[in-house]
Formats: sequence, structure tokens, C-alpha cells
Amino acid sequence: MKHFKIFVWKEFLHIWRDKKTLMIIILLPIIEVLLFGFVLTSEINNVSLGIKDLDNSLWSKNLILKFHNSEYFQVRMLHSAPEVENALQSNSIKAVLEIKPDAERKMRAGESGIIQLLLDASDPNIARTIEVYVNNIMASSLPRAQPAQSYLSIIPLMYYNQELKSVFKSVPGLMAVVLMLICAMMTSVSLAREKETGSMNVLLISPLKPWHIVIGKMIPYMAISIVNILMITALSYFVFGVPIRGSLLLFFFFSILYVISALSFGLLISTIVQTQQIAMMISLAGLMLPTTLLSGLIYPIRNMPGWLQRFSGIFPARWFVEILSHIMLKDSPVSYYLQPAGIILLITLILLVIATKRFKLRYD
Amino acid sequence: MIIKTEKLTRQFGSFTAVDAISFSVSEGEIFGFLGANGAGKTTAMKMLCGLLLPTSGTASVAGFDVYTQSEKIKLNIGYMSQKFSLFTDLTVWENIEFYAGIYKMKPKRIKVHGAKLLQELELEQQKRRLIGTLPLGIRQKLAFSIAIIHEPRVVFLDEPTGGVDPITRRRFWEMIYDASARGITVFVTTHYMDEAEYCDRVSMMVDGSIMGLDSPARLKAQFDSKTMYDVFLKLARKAV
Repeated sequence: MKHFKIFVWKEFLHIWRDKKTLMIIILLPIIEVLLFGFVLTSEINNVSLGIKDLDNSLWSKNLILKFHNSEYFQVRMLHSAPEVENALQSNSIKAVLEIKPDAERKMRAGESGIIQLLLDASDPNIARTIEVYVNNIMASSLPRAQPAQSYLSIIPLMYYNQELKSVFKSVPGLMAVVLMLICAMMTSVSLAREKETGSMNVLLISPLKPWHIVIGKMIPYMAISIVNILMITALSYFVFGVPIRGSLLLFFFFSILYVISALSFGLLISTIVQTQQIAMMISLAGLMLPTTLLSGLIYPIRNMPGWLQRFSGIFPARWFVEILSHIMLKDSPVSYYLQPAGIILLITLILLVIATKRFKLRYD
Repeated sequence: MIIKTEKLTRQFGSFTAVDAISFSVSEGEIFGFLGANGAGKTTAMKMLCGLLLPTSGTASVAGFDVYTQSEKIKLNIGYMSQKFSLFTDLTVWENIEFYAGIYKMKPKRIKVHGAKLLQELELEQQKRRLIGTLPLGIRQKLAFSIAIIHEPRVVFLDEPTGGVDPITRRRFWEMIYDASARGITVFVTTHYMDEAEYCDRVSMMVDGSIMGLDSPARLKAQFDSKTMYDVFLKLARKAV
């Protein structure tokens, strides 16, 4: 085993000497978590809202005050139709609330059509969110005596993520992407480098066995992945308050399972390619892109067409994100995510079998 | 006989890369393994190193069978190629430690042999330098010394002097002679015909078969040529 240990040591030295790459793989997760946490948010703050008050009643003044006091809106009073149009077009406001003349009287008479909301829907997601926020504030201004439009009223309760923080969702997705990047790309590039420089022959001719080389390549990246997992979790916990409500042990167990699946991808890529460049291309275009897009990190999987949903199933990331949100947010019993865990295990085993077969084919 | 092959053959699909070659190399001999690109040298060498299984025929290296005892063969051979000359991002000493380590040498022995090696190459001062900062010629000599640090019975050199200046090549061959004098068998492939003259015996491979095998002097006489270069041309032309 001593000769195996020295091989692993050599791998650590390679990584240590390549300071630039080391910086990237250590800093990348930190930057990504901060970026995703602060930038990619669907909640809104300080939206500039134009209000055109044609009623000028006590009730309308009260309503405007409510918007003023809300942290979500920055209210700007508008007075004429051209002003409204100008403000919307110049992007200085995102929505306009128009209180019709005689609104208070009409409301008390039970008439409708007293308030109009104009939204800049050039970004539909933001428009939809603003609509919801405005409705929430409005709701409290309508008198209780107002007859309900329907006897069935829906009161949404947001479980697991009361504030609808998108960082709660992006942390698992981010972890999936970062670990895939580091494990798959770095192992495939590192193995391809041995082939490219010709040192692979030296290693294979030596008493090292092929599995020594394969496992020896994986161990350092596994260690770095564990550091990354710890950093991402700590950062998202302390900066964004993302909890781990379930078992920490299970959390690490499944993270490592996912890391192994990513390493197997890297191994498979390395058996196909001969150069570092192609290894990088394949891992970036063939693995990173689908992982980012199909893991549910940015776009919800259930909005995808059926065939694409099924296709996304061959990437472990999708299942890993599912498991993580079970453990981190819901503290579900293990039986709830045994299926995705089984799928990752299956993918990993298939990859490892194909990869070792190919590895042997080439060098036997 | 330290290397012995009998009708050793390797096919890739319908293509026969190595076609029933038979030869033997005795202990301490410098054996030149010559041939044009694609003649099957590398395939034959891979079979002898235990990297590739033969399709048919027999071969033994250091007394071990290539089919069944490749692990034992690996412990008794060294290997060096022109393409790979040490890990450039590791220091001189780290390369020594790595290579000796994967050949299962004990740490104590690594220290002693490593120090001796550095002394012989006058590289003691450069012990902690990264290989990438050393000139190519020094790297090649160091690579050869490292390839035989575990005192293998046979060392396989795959075009070891490619891209090296004539003076360094000359010194490199002096090191090969030293190794041979210490009883290490040297199995060397090369493109340089002047180097072929330095070998005890030379085999000429053309299209997967050995077309000539003898000492350089006798080969020249046999093919009525003044230099090994002419011998090579005559044999290679005959094949076309």
C-alpha cells in the first residue's frame, strides 16, 4: 500500500503546485454562493411604484400611506396619463396603481373596477411578483364587510421556506453544480494530462495497478470536495440562514455519494479523450451545462417538456438536489428520498463499470 | 536469456502489428530495437512490459511469463521514454521519491540511492528545484538514472534521446554503457542510426517482422553496407 500512498501524495503535490487552479476550485464555490444568494433572487425590494390618485379621498390617502410604509415599494406620485407612460417607458417605475375617481364611494356601494394596476411585463417574473405583493397590501385595505367573491377562500401558507427565499433553493443546486465541476472536470483533465505527457505509460508499466491510478486520482479531489461542501454549507448557513433541518450525517453521506458519481463521470470522460483540452470541453459543454440547466437550479424541472424531464434524470444533479432539499429544508424521513438516492447509486455503478471496462480495454 | 520471445504475435482486428517475432537478449546486453514508425516496435515493447497481452506466441522477461506473471515482470523492469521526462511540476527529489516509491523501494534505500544518484549527476544543489526549470538534456539523464534507481534487471528505453543535442546524446550513451556494465540489460528503440552502432546487437523490424538481427558489424557485412543507415534503407525498401 505504500506505493499507492506515494501516488496519492504525488497527486496532492500536482494540485498544490498549480496555485491558480487551486485558487479557482477553492474560491469558486464561495463566489458562486454569494452571487446566487444576493443576485439570483425572485423576491423584490424597493420596487418603484407609481400611484395616480384620482379619488383623493381619505381612504385613498390611507392606502397610499400603506404603500409608503411598505419596505417593498418606493412610491412616486404621478398625475397625468403622459406622465405615467413616460415613467413606464423610461424604466423609472415598474408598475402604476391608478385609483379611479370616486373609488371610496363606489367601493362602499359594492361596485368593482375602482383600482387599476398597470405592470411593466417586459420581465414577466417581476411583474407577477409585484402583482402578488400589491394584492397583499390591498387586501388589508378593503373593508371586512366586503362580501367575499367566493365562499372558498385560499389562504396560502408557505411551508419550509416562509419567506420564499430563493437562496434556499439555490444552495442545493449550487452544490450540485460546483461539485460536478470540480470532480468531473478536474479528474478527467488530470488523467488526460498523464496521457498527454506520456507519463500514463510509465505509471502503467510500474507495479501500480490501474485501480491504484484511478482511485489515487480520485482521493485528492474528494478531499477538496469535502472542503467545498463544508464551505458552502457554512457560508449559506451563516450568511443566508439556510438551515440543515435534517441529519447532518445523512447530509454528508449523500453529498459524498454524489461526489463519487461526479468522479465517475470524470473517469469515463478520461477514458474517451486523449488531451486535456478535449477533456475540459466535454466536461464543460457535455456535463456542466446540462447540470446547471437541468438540475432545477435556475429553471424548475416541472416546467420542462416531458421528454426533457426524463432526460434530466440521467444527470445525478437532479436527484441530488431533490435529496438535499429533503434533508436541508424538510427533514423528511429517509424513505422519502430513497428513490433518488437509489438512482444516483445506479448511475454511479453504471458509469464505473463502463469506465473501468474502457480503462482496461485501452491498457490491457 | 533475460528476454526470450517465440513467434510473438499481436493483432488488432485484422491488422497484424507484430508478426511472429522470435529473438532473445542475454543479460547485460545492449539490444537495439530498430524500425520505421508503425513497424510494430512500440506494440512489441508494450507486450514485453506487460502492458499488452499477445495474441499468440510466447515471451518471457527476467524469467517471467508475459501472459501470467506481468506483475512480477513490472517489478523487475524500468522504463523511460522520450515523451515523458519526469513530472515538471515536481522537484528533482520529489520525482526520485515518487519513482522509487512506486517501485516499492524502502524509504531508507530511497535516501541512499537517491543521494548517490544526485552525486553522480552533480545535481545535489538542484535537489529542490522543479524539473520544469532544468534543461532538457539534464532532465533526460536524470530520467534515465531514475528509471534504473530500483536496479531492474532490464530497462526499456523508448526513443530516449529524441530532441537532445549530440553531446548530451553521447553522454547519455555513456550512462547506458555504465548500466550495462553493472549487469542491467538495456532494450532500446531509436531513430538515430549512429546510435544503432553503439548497440551490442540490433534487430531491424519492418512491417511487424524482424528482417535482420545481428551485431552492427555483421549486419553491415550481410547487407553489404557501410553504415547502419544504409542497412536500414535497404531493408525498409525491400519491404515496399
